[in-house]
Amino acid sequence: MFGAIFIPCCIVALIGYSLIKKKNAYNSFVDGAKGSFDLALSMFPYLVAILIAIELYNQSGLNKILSQIFAPIFSTVGIPSELAELVIIKNFSGSGSLALLENIFKNYGVDSYISMCACVIMATSEAVFFVSSVYFCKTKIEKLRYAIPLALFMNFISAIFSCFICKLFI
Amino acid sequence: MNIVWITITCIGLIILIITNPNIAFSCLLNGSENAISLSLKLWAIYAVWLGLLKIMENVGLDKKIAKLLNKPIKYLFGKVPEDAKTQISINLSCNMLGMGNASVPSGIKAMQLLQGKTKFATNAMIMLMLLNTCNLQLFPATIIGMRIFAGSKNPSVIIIPTLLVSTICVFISIMLVKIFSKIFKDKE
Repeated sequence: MFGAIFIPCCIVALIGYSLIKKKNAYNSFVDGAKGSFDLALSMFPYLVAILIAIELYNQSGLNKILSQIFAPIFSTVGIPSELAELVIIKNFSGSGSLALLENIFKNYGVDSYISMCACVIMATSEAVFFVSSVYFCKTKIEKLRYAIPLALFMNFISAIFSCFICKLFI
Repeated sequence: MNIVWITITCIGLIILIITNPNIAFSCLLNGSENAISLSLKLWAIYAVWLGLLKIMENVGLDKKIAKLLNKPIKYLFGKVPEDAKTQISINLSCNMLGMGNASVPSGIKAMQLLQGKTKFATNAMIMLMLLNTCNLQLFPATIIGMRIFAGSKNPSVIIIPTLLVSTICVFISIMLVKIFSKIFKDKE
């Protein structure tokens, strides 16, 4: 596929380019990779907090309750009620929503309208709570002001548009 | 984040105490275990990407990308330091190419460089966060891969809708952040 060929090609080109520029690609690579442990370490506490919340959210059945509450609201703006759970979990966790997407494929068929909407919703939104805590993990920012409400609102808007535009393509 | 986390954790725990107290604490441990395996995975991914990004930096390719994206970045973020611009342009181009994981290290670096002296996020930081949560990408590789795996007859049918939706949403987000930054000025 496109992605499978594209990235390795870029890497070959990059290493080739550094040979032309007479820079030591090996030293640069090792030097850069050194920072990875530090980065993973500073993200870790935030990941623990988020993943504990997600685990509790799923195990307690809060996901079912919330999606039941929001489903009628969602369906008035054109989001099928089957997708309520996905639209909500998508804000918290990327991997959790991938698992849910697989379920949707299984239950409704991969080429159905529901699955298509789910795919577009997945591809056009990102886990807000993940981004908002991980991206700021090395700063001393405590107050994100209007960022989270706005990001959540935009995810909601993108879900509405996804369902609307998929109707035109089915 | 604070309020959301406290609410979810408390309500989740209370429900579990009523319905199934045996698994309440193991949920916390499970979450933490998941975090360990996720951060190990991310460590591996970031080691590769940070290595490659360093090669890019040493041959001066990152500056070239930054120069290419100079105008849009200037419009979107206003006055930002030169090195932050470089990180922002790497972050945005990784996102557009569908390499979500590669964009995180540069995003974190950009946030570090953008922060001021206060504990309040600046408008430029919020713009970067919004552009990341909108997930602007030209080719949704992961999702198409999953569709192929699930046996779809037409896995790439989602490309055009995805492009349309993400373009509209990125446009709306930019407008909203611009409007909000007029209303809420950066705090000194």
